[in-house]
Amino acid sequence: MLLPKFDFHEPKTLNEACQILAAYGVKAKLIAGGTDLMVNMKKKILSPEQVISISRIGELKKLDTSGDSIRIGSCFTVADLSTSDAIQKHLSALGEGAKNLGTPLIRNLATIGGNLGSARPAADLPPALMAYGAQVVLNSLSGERTLSLDKFFLGPGFTAAKPDEILSEIQIPSLPPHSGAGYINIGIRKGQDCNLVNVASFIALDTDGTIRNARIVMGCVGPIPLRASSAEKMLIGQKPESALFARAGAAASLDSTPIDDFRGTAAYKRDMVGVLTRRTLDIAFREATHRQ
Amino acid sequence: MSEYTVINSRAVRVDTPDKATGKAVFIDDMTMPGMLYGALLQSPLAHARIVSIDTSKARNLPGVKSVVTAAEAGLVKYGVSPARYDETLFCHEKVRYVGDDIAAVAAVDMETALKAVSLIEVEYEELPAVFTIEEAMKAGAPVLHDNYPGNICAEVHSEFGNVEEALADCDLIKTTTFQNKRQDAAFIEPQGCIASYDLSGNLTLYSSTQVPHYVQRTVAMVLKLPVGKVRVVKPYVGAGFGIKASANPLELSACLLSMKTGKPVKMNYNREQVFQYGRARHQFTHTMTTGVKKDGTIMALKHLCYLDGGAYSSFGIATVYYAGSLLGGPYKLPNMKYDGYRIYNNKPACGAMRGHGGVAARACWEQQLDMIAEELKISPIELRLKNMMVAGDVTCNDLNMSSLGMKECIEAVKDGSEWTAKKGKLPKGKGIGMACGFFVSGAGYPIYRSDTFHGTVIVKLTEDGGTALVYTASAEIGQGSDTTFAMIAAEALGIRLEDVRLESGDTDFGVDLGAYSSRQTLMTGHAVKEAAEDARRQVLEVLAKELNVPVENMDIKNSLIEFKQGNVDFTGLRTRYSKEHRGWNDNPADGPLTFREASRIAYLSKGSIVGTGKYKPPELGGKYKGATVGTSPAYGCSAQIAEVTVDEETGQITVDRITDAHDCGLAINVTSVEGQMEGSVSMGLGEALFEEVKFDKKGHVINADLAEYKIPTMLDMPQIKTIIVESNEPNGPFGAKEVGEGAIMPTIPAILNAVYDAIGVRIHELPMTPERVYLAIQEAKKGKTG
Repeated sequence: MLLPKFDFHEPKTLNEACQILAAYGVKAKLIAGGTDLMVNMKKKILSPEQVISISRIGELKKLDTSGDSIRIGSCFTVADLSTSDAIQKHLSALGEGAKNLGTPLIRNLATIGGNLGSARPAADLPPALMAYGAQVVLNSLSGERTLSLDKFFLGPGFTAAKPDEILSEIQIPSLPPHSGAGYINIGIRKGQDCNLVNVASFIALDTDGTIRNARIVMGCVGPIPLRASSAEKMLIGQKPESALFARAGAAASLDSTPIDDFRGTAAYKRDMVGVLTRRTLDIAFREATHRQ
Repeated sequence: MSEYTVINSRAVRVDTPDKATGKAVFIDDMTMPGMLYGALLQSPLAHARIVSIDTSKARNLPGVKSVVTAAEAGLVKYGVSPARYDETLFCHEKVRYVGDDIAAVAAVDMETALKAVSLIEVEYEELPAVFTIEEAMKAGAPVLHDNYPGNICAEVHSEFGNVEEALADCDLIKTTTFQNKRQDAAFIEPQGCIASYDLSGNLTLYSSTQVPHYVQRTVAMVLKLPVGKVRVVKPYVGAGFGIKASANPLELSACLLSMKTGKPVKMNYNREQVFQYGRARHQFTHTMTTGVKKDGTIMALKHLCYLDGGAYSSFGIATVYYAGSLLGGPYKLPNMKYDGYRIYNNKPACGAMRGHGGVAARACWEQQLDMIAEELKISPIELRLKNMMVAGDVTCNDLNMSSLGMKECIEAVKDGSEWTAKKGKLPKGKGIGMACGFFVSGAGYPIYRSDTFHGTVIVKLTEDGGTALVYTASAEIGQGSDTTFAMIAAEALGIRLEDVRLESGDTDFGVDLGAYSSRQTLMTGHAVKEAAEDARRQVLEVLAKELNVPVENMDIKNSLIEFKQGNVDFTGLRTRYSKEHRGWNDNPADGPLTFREASRIAYLSKGSIVGTGKYKPPELGGKYKGATVGTSPAYGCSAQIAEVTVDEETGQITVDRITDAHDCGLAINVTSVEGQMEGSVSMGLGEALFEEVKFDKKGHVINADLAEYKIPTMLDMPQIKTIIVESNEPNGPFGAKEVGEGAIMPTIPAILNAVYDAIGVRIHELPMTPERVYLAIQEAKKGKTG
C-alpha cells in the first residue's frame, strides 16, 4: 500500500508548530507516533496535503510529577508510560492501559496525545485518564486553554480541539489519600487487539471509609468513552463492598450504549461492562485502602 | 545414542545466518534492470456479467507499457485438479467473487500501474449472488458455473462395510454437528513474483511459491509455451501453508505482461489481496454419528459434510475427499459411510491448508469420542488406546499404517502432562483434555495423473574435491527442508554437514512436486539419499580400483575414508593430490585419507562425479472411486493434551499448557521437528479460539488484515512441551516421515475437550471467542434453571 503524496513539516518548537498549523488549518494533520494516521493514510481514509510532525518538540515529551498535578507531555510515548515508576506509583490504571495498548513496537511509537487526539472509542488510555479527572491543554497562536477530558471527545475521530489547536499536555490532579483506580480491557486475544470493552474505575474514600467520589469510564460502548453516571451515584456515600460493586456493575451496564458490530454483539459488551466495572472497582478499592 | 553422525541431531539450519541478519533474499528484496511493476484490476462485485471493458484510458496513461485482459490472455481453463479446471486467467463473461481478476497492467512504477488500473472502465450487469451453502443450494438459486447445476462443485459418496447394520448392533450411538470457520493462513510473506521473458523466448519466473513444478506446468499450459521454455525459481519464501501450492493469477499475469513488454515484471499482493484471493481452509459443517459397544469398541461412523467452497474449485475436490477419508484411522473402524458436498458460492475460493481437509473433521470426531467416553464412564485415554491401530494395520478405506507410534504418543503426553494427577481433580474453570490425529506423509499420487517421479535429485561432487553440491527442485518455505536434505545428503555420503552445499527450488534442477501434503522429508528425502549414495558408490569404486580394496571394505564417515581391514597404503593417492595443489598450505599431510582427496582422485579418473536419485511411491490404496486421496507411503501421528483456564464471567479462554507428542518416524533435524510441532499448536490454537474470515452482505472481506483477523500473539501462546516419538518408518528415508501437518490435528479437539472439562459445556462451533463461550455458559445455566 502506497502513501498519498503530502508535504512534511518538522517544527522544533510548539510555537513554530502552531504557526504552521494556523497556516494550513484543516488541510493539515498532526503526526506524533503515526500509528493511527499512517494506517489511515495508506488506506486512503485520510489524505492530508500537509503533515506536521510534533515529535521533534522536546517540551512535549516531559513527565512532571513535582507540582499539584501530574503533567504529561502529549508526545510522551506509551512505552514510557508503561514502564514509568512514577506512573505506576501515582496512576497505575493509566499504566495498565499503556501496557495493554497494541504491541511493543506500537507502544514505542504511539504517544499519549495521539491516543487521545485520534478519539477512537476503543482506545486504551482515555478511560483511565477520564477516571482520574484529567484535563488537556490545547495550544494555538491565539493562546492556551485547558479542557476537561470529559468534554474533549465529540465522536469517533472527532474532538473539541479546533483545527488550529495542538494538544500539548495532559494534566492529572494529584490524587487524594485513600483513592485508587483500576483498568481492565478485554478483547478476543491477549495482545495486539482492538478492545471489545474497556473500563476504568476510580474511587476516593472518606475518612470514615465511605466512598466520597467515584468515576467510572466505559470504552467501546458508545461513540466516545462514557461515564457510568448512575453507577457512580450509586456508590457515593456508601461503604465499599463487593455486593455494592456488583450492583454498580449492573447499573453501568445500563449506562452503556453498545452496538452490534463484527467484533461482538451489544448484549455481550453490555454484560462485560458489568463484569469489568465490578472488577475494576475491586482493584480501585484495594489500591485506595493502601494509598496514604 | 544415535547410530547416525549427521541426522537425528540438532543442526543449525543452513539458512539461519542469512535470515537472522536480513541477508536472505525474498521476492520483495529483488529487482532487475528495466523492471516494470504490475497491478491487477479485480472485481468490486461478487457476481456480475461483464458487459464491456474499455482499457483505452489506461493504455494512454504515460508510463503504462501493457494492459492485458482475457482478450490478450486467452481462455485456457486452469485450476488445481485437471478434473475441475474452472478458472481462466482473466474473467471474460462474468465475475464470481469480489476480487476476481479482470485485467492486469504493467507500468514503469507502482503508482502509475495503480493509476492505470483505476482508469480501466468496466461495465457490469450485477447478478444476484449467493454467499452461504444454504443460499447456494436453494432451488432456483443463481448458478455460478453453468456446468455445475445446484452449485455442487463436487460430491463424494462412499461406504466401507455396512454402517446401518453395524449401528443396529451398537450400545451407544452419538450424533453431533460441528462447524469451523473459513481461515486465512496468515503467512508472513504475501504472494509475489517477478517474471522475466528473454529475447530467445525463455521465460523465468521467480515466485513466492510452494510448488515450482506445478507453477511451471500451469504457466506453460495457460500461456501456451513449450514447458522447456519455462523455468520457475523460488527464492526464500515466508511460508505458504497450502495457499501457495498452486499457480496464482499474479504469476500468470506477470508472465504474460513480461512476454508482452520484453521486460521483467514484478507483482505483489498486498495483505488485503491475500485475504481476497483466499484458497485457505474451508468452512466445514460436519454431522457425525458414531456407534460403539458398551466396552468402548468403535463400530461405525456415519458422516455427512458440507464444504463452503467459494467461487472456484482450487484444491476443493481433494479437500472434500480428505474430509472423509482421513477418519479411516488411527482408530480401528470397520464401518464408515461418508457423504461430502463442496458447494460453490460468491466468495473467494477455499483450498488446501495445513492438515488439508482433516482438521475440522478431526476436531468434530475427537470431541464426540470424548462425549462417548464420558457416557460409557471410560477415560478418554483408555477409549483411544482400546481402539488404536498398530503398525501394519490397514484402515477400512485401504490406508496402510506401515508405522504407527500412536500408543507411545498417548503414553508420552499422559506422563508428560501428569494427566492422572489432574484429570477430574482440577477446580472449576480449569480443564484438561486430550486428542489424537494422524496425517499423510506425502500424497500417494501427483495432482495431475502421471507416472512421473515425485522427486529427482542430483548430487555433484566439486571437481576439486571435498564438497557435495545437492540440486533439488524441492521448496524450502521456512520449514527447514534445505537443512533436512543437506543433512540427509551428508549422512548418506558420509561427509560433514558443512561439506554440503545445497541449491533448491529451481525447476532446472529436476522434478519435485513441492512442499505440500507433508511430502518432502519422505519423498525428496529418499531421492536425496539415493543420489548421495550413488555419488558415494562412484567415489568408492574408483578408490577400490586405485587401492585394490573391495568397496565393501571401505566406508566414508565425517568426510574421512575408513578402511575396515588392516592398513591400506594410500600414500600414492595422497602424493598425487598434493602435487596438484603445490603451494597450497592446507594439503592433508598425515592422518586418514580424506573425502576431499578421494573425490578429487575419483574426478581425475572419471570426470565429474554426479549421483542421481529419484523417488516415486509404489501403487497405493484401494480400487474404489477416490481411493487415491488419503493414500501415502506412511502416516505421521500425534497426541496432545491441552490444559486451559476459562474465565466463566467473560468467556475468555487461556490455554496454559500443551503437551504434544508426535511420531515422525525419525527426526532428521530434531529442532526443526519441534519447530513444526510448536508452529502447529500456534495455528491450531488460533483456529480454535480466534480466527475467522468475515464478510459483509456484498461479499467483501471485512477483516482483511492482521489487526482484525486474529492469529495468536506471543501472549496467547501456552507453554508447549514437545515429545518426539520415533517409530522407524519402513517406507521413509532413514525411517523418517512427516511432522508438518499431522501435528496440527489434535490441537483443536484437545482444547475443545479441555474447555468442556473446565466449564461442563460442550461447544460445537469455532472459533471459541469469549462471546461464544460466554453465551454457551449462559445457555447452559438457563437450561439448568429453566
